[in-house]
Amino acid sequence: MLEIFGTIGGNALGLPGLLGVALGMMTRHIWLAALMGGLVGIVETFLFAGWQFANLEMLELVVAIVVGVLAGCVGCVIRLKGASV
Amino acid sequence: MADRPDNRGMIRRFWDWFWGPTAVLSVGFTLIAGFLAGIFFWGGFHWSVELTNTEEFCVSCHTMETNLGEYRETIHYNNHSGVRAICSDCHVPHEWSHKIKAKIMAVKDVYHEMVGTINTPEKYEEHRLQMASAVWRKMKASDSRECRNCHNFDYMDFTLQEVRAASEHQRAIDSDMTCIDCHQGIAHRLPPSYLEEYEKVLEALSMTPSSRRLAAADHEATQFYLRSRSE
Repeated sequence: MLEIFGTIGGNALGLPGLLGVALGMMTRHIWLAALMGGLVGIVETFLFAGWQFANLEMLELVVAIVVGVLAGCVGCVIRLKGASV
Repeated sequence: MADRPDNRGMIRRFWDWFWGPTAVLSVGFTLIAGFLAGIFFWGGFHWSVELTNTEEFCVSCHTMETNLGEYRETIHYNNHSGVRAICSDCHVPHEWSHKIKAKIMAVKDVYHEMVGTINTPEKYEEHRLQMASAVWRKMKASDSRECRNCHNFDYMDFTLQEVRAASEHQRAIDSDMTCIDCHQGIAHRLPPSYLEEYEKVLEALSMTPSSRRLAAADHEATQFYLRSRSE
C-alpha cells in the first residue's frame, strides 16, 4: 500500500502531475487534456526506465498514466472555470 | 437600484473572489507575481525536502541510535579519503520522483518510532532481518541505484584494486550482478541467517535460477573477505 501511495505522490509532484496540469490548462477539450496528461505519464516512465522495456515497471506506468490523465483533467477544469477564452 | 446585503458565507465569497477576473492587475503583473511565487514556494519545498536528508534529521529519532552506532564503525563514516556517505546517500534516491516516493514511504518510520516497534535492543534485533530484507529488496530491484551514485564499474581501475576485489568485480560485471549481491552489511551489522533471507528476496523478485545461483555463489567467502578487509 505504501508503495502505491509513494508512487502516486512521486508522480503527482513530478512530470505527470505538474506538466499534466499545465498542459490541461492550455485546452478547453477535456479529452485532449486527459490524452496529453496520459502521454506525459508514459513518456516520464520510459524516460526514467532509460527507454528500455526491460526496466519498465507496470505499476509505475499505470500510476503515471492515471495521475497524468487526472492532472490533465484538473488543468482543463481550471481553464474552463478560470478563463473566458 | 438599492444594494442588497451580501448573504454569501465567507467560503463562498472567497471562492467567487478567487475565480473572478482581476480588475486592477495587468497580465504582466499577474504573470511576474505568479512566477516569483512559484520560485518561492518550489524553492521552499525543495529546501524542506533536503533538510530531511541530513544526518541530524535521520538520527533525531531514538530508534535510529543503533543504526548510527553501527554505521560509525564502517568505512562509509570514517576513511582515509575524507569522503563520507551519510544515511540519505544510501537510502534516498537522487531522481526526483523516486526521491518523493522514498520520502512518502518513510512515513512508516515515523509511525514505528511513535508506537515503539524497535525502541529496545531486543526489539531491534527481533526486526533486524525484516528491516535488512526490505532494504536489500529495494536495492536489488533498483540495481543498487544509490550505491552507483558514487561507485561505478565504468570508473573502476581494476589494476589499483586488490587481486581478489578486481576478480570479484569482473565476475560481477560478467554475471550481471549488482552491488548488494555481495556488499550486504556494508554499513550495518548482518542478522543471523541473512543468506537464506537474501535468497527469498531474489525469489520474490522473480530472479532466474541462474542469476540467483550466480549471486549466491561463493557468497560466504566473499563476505568473509570483505569483513576481514574492514577490520
